[in-house]
Amino acid sequence: MDLLDLIDLTQSVLDGVLFGATYSLIGIGFTLIFGVMHKINLAYAAASVGAAYLSLIVVSHVPVPVVYLVAALMGGVLGWLVYLICFRFLPLSNPLATLMSTVGMLLAIEELISHLTQGMPMNYPAMFQSANIEIGSFFIRGDLLFVFLIGCVAMVGLTQLLKRTRLGLATRAVAQQPVAAQLCGMGINSTNASTFVIAGLLGGTAGAMAGAAIGVLSPLLALPLTVKGLVVTVIGGLGSIPGAIVAGLIVGGAENLFQFIRGVSERDIYVMLLLFVFLVFRPGGLFSPPGGRD
Amino acid sequence: MLELNKVSRHFGGVKAVDELDLTVHQGEILGLIGPNGSGKSTTVNLITGVYRHQSGSMHFKGQDIAPLDPHERTAIGIARTFQNIRLFGHLTVWQNLWAARVVRRGGWSGFRERWLSGAATAREQAEELLEFGNLADKRDMLAGNLAFGEQRRLELVRAAASGAELLLLDEPAAGMNAEEIGDLDERIRKLRDQGRTILLIEHHMELVMEVCDRVAVLNFGRKIAEGTPAQVQADAQVRAAYLGADESAVS
Amino acid sequence: MDFYLGLAQVIGIHTLLGLSAWCVLHTGQVSLAQGGFFAIGAYVAGMLTSMWQWPLALALVTGAGIACVVAIAVGFPAMRVKGLMLVVATTAFAEIVRLVFFNLEWRIETSEGVVGPNGSLGFGGIRYFPSNGWSAFEVNALIWSLVGGVLLLLWWFDRSRVGTLWRAVGEDEIAAQSAGINLTATKVSAFGIGGAIAGLAGGVFAHYTTHVEHSNFGILLATFAIAYPILGGLASLAGTLFAVIFIQGFLLEGLRFLGEWRSLLFGALIVLVMLVRPDGFLSRALWPGRVGPRRQQTASPSVDDSDTARQEGSRHA
Repeated sequence: MDLLDLIDLTQSVLDGVLFGATYSLIGIGFTLIFGVMHKINLAYAAASVGAAYLSLIVVSHVPVPVVYLVAALMGGVLGWLVYLICFRFLPLSNPLATLMSTVGMLLAIEELISHLTQGMPMNYPAMFQSANIEIGSFFIRGDLLFVFLIGCVAMVGLTQLLKRTRLGLATRAVAQQPVAAQLCGMGINSTNASTFVIAGLLGGTAGAMAGAAIGVLSPLLALPLTVKGLVVTVIGGLGSIPGAIVAGLIVGGAENLFQFIRGVSERDIYVMLLLFVFLVFRPGGLFSPPGGRD
Repeated sequence: MLELNKVSRHFGGVKAVDELDLTVHQGEILGLIGPNGSGKSTTVNLITGVYRHQSGSMHFKGQDIAPLDPHERTAIGIARTFQNIRLFGHLTVWQNLWAARVVRRGGWSGFRERWLSGAATAREQAEELLEFGNLADKRDMLAGNLAFGEQRRLELVRAAASGAELLLLDEPAAGMNAEEIGDLDERIRKLRDQGRTILLIEHHMELVMEVCDRVAVLNFGRKIAEGTPAQVQADAQVRAAYLGADESAVS
Repeated sequence: MDFYLGLAQVIGIHTLLGLSAWCVLHTGQVSLAQGGFFAIGAYVAGMLTSMWQWPLALALVTGAGIACVVAIAVGFPAMRVKGLMLVVATTAFAEIVRLVFFNLEWRIETSEGVVGPNGSLGFGGIRYFPSNGWSAFEVNALIWSLVGGVLLLLWWFDRSRVGTLWRAVGEDEIAAQSAGINLTATKVSAFGIGGAIAGLAGGVFAHYTTHVEHSNFGILLATFAIAYPILGGLASLAGTLFAVIFIQGFLLEGLRFLGEWRSLLFGALIVLVMLVRPDGFLSRALWPGRVGPRRQQTASPSVDDSDTARQEGSRHA
């Protein structure tokens, strides 16, 4: 591999890392819900894509940043809906039921999008497409950088929310001791609902950013985003937000690395193998001690 | 039979078990007592392998058990009951015993016995245990549907069903009334008379003093006293641990 | 009549798929990998009969056998993780399998022309049934005798110690460990047997559809696989069969008039059933002696009492 190839490779990986912020957001969403409810919401990525689609309703009427905002808001709404339908009324002791329920929701959302759009991909607005920053032989794509920055803003916002507000405190309390939290006057249902809403806001942002980076939205986006998001969550460590952040960037970069070396159709095989490597050597994830008996 | 030498285990900054020396002799009933948080349950978890000890050594019948997984420790003869009952609630009483039967034979007959059916002798043994626990008429009931006292009895005989020579009983008397404790006392003695060794963790002082041959006392993860029940009762440090320093100074 | 025979074939294959998931779910693990083993069985058996003229029975058994071996190989590392991580690991595995077959190109010259998997175009020309004059009725007979055989086998397992061990591990891993049960051996055995059953189903599937491709083996199939035992209730084998008949028979076919909205309905239906009967439709009405909601562990089990109390507490909350 000569220097030119190496530069191309690095460029590719760099682009991937920037896009990886989107995966980080999805990973955070999964980990947030798992951390609080000890359940998985498999419909999360689909709802995020759905939120991005919903924001397309206003695309011709408002400036682009507002479109993204609408996507985030719609994500929050969809998150609340998913909570209501799949989690609120199901017995906590039966995680299989909520799992199946969210799977059903995932399928339903995907199909709904397919039908309403006749399966045609739809263009999604990006920003700063023409603004590229040159550093030596490398380009930093403006639109990807923007995606990355918005992702960072969202993550910072989330950490502040969790650490500094009463809502964040309630979320963490309910996660650790639901019964005691209730006795302290925290409504479990409202707290859980808000967790879903917050995760949904993040998800809507992620959906919008994915659309912006790729340029189009398609219902086929939901499943790969779900799988990659889960991979990120596991590599980062279940329940660890910093883990999800780092893992998202790693997966984004690795994805492009594999694509560069082996092509698009084999790329995902290696991403999955990367997951397996982590599972074997560090089942607890990045930010936890290597798997031991405890 | 069981020897713990300077065994330690800490969690973060807390030393749950601190250089513990403990010996359980074959055929004895040893009581392990101490105030809450003194490390009794952690000790049981260390012995059964649920937690790994961080220093010191543990030997069972002369064999170093450190490299063994929990189920392997049960296979060599150490079994336990749980403080909060952990029965297989959706299995019947009989199936709970049957699942716990440890098969030590290898080869085809061992495979058959482990996975397929059971040899007649194994079934007989399980039936005897059922009788012993006074649960024979409930053998087809789901364990989760048993009354509390019955569940405790099942927990006890299930530990015995694995064929273990050393039984670790973790607060078996919790929540029992006087009559049930009396039955428990008898059962523990019978289990010992049948050739087993018992390590009993308990808060019920009367039971401990009644049934144990020797007693060891833990506080803050360390052993502070050891001896016959009478000796331990009279020990000043033990009284201080339970009652507080002022009290012991007064009496 | 042909329509019903075709439907019966689908129901039979999906029942086998559901039963394969039943084994694994019984030990308390959620596996989205059954579709992957199905694919392995399909491709292997299909390749053996169409490319090398193997007899059907041998090809099917080999397909199932290889799926079983892969399941055991994957099972060992996978069993080290629990809950969500296992879900992700099995999903990842299934995706790897699908992508491998997406990329697999292996064509050879036979007396019937060029046959073999053709990458993204799929694997067609698995003409064993038509070439040997099997009627739809005979295919059904094969499928349903396999279903019957597997049902019998699993029923026997359930009654023998294997079933007890599987369920004990599914109930409470910590208690099982201290009762001397080797967790890894138990979980891997269930995984392996489940893999073999799925592989068998895949082999037959490849032959009656004569053309398979990677998109047949996606997450939707894996979802169907675990949906059947969950919706039918893990407590019984028959529940899985009824769930398949209900979903494939009444819903997907009976509501054919809804056309493309069927898949949407499937999703909505799952959500509905979980709301109304979270333990599956057969587990409460017909088995009234059951204790209550089955407690499956998706968070890692913990051993100190405060955590146990919390689990108990959340069960009754």
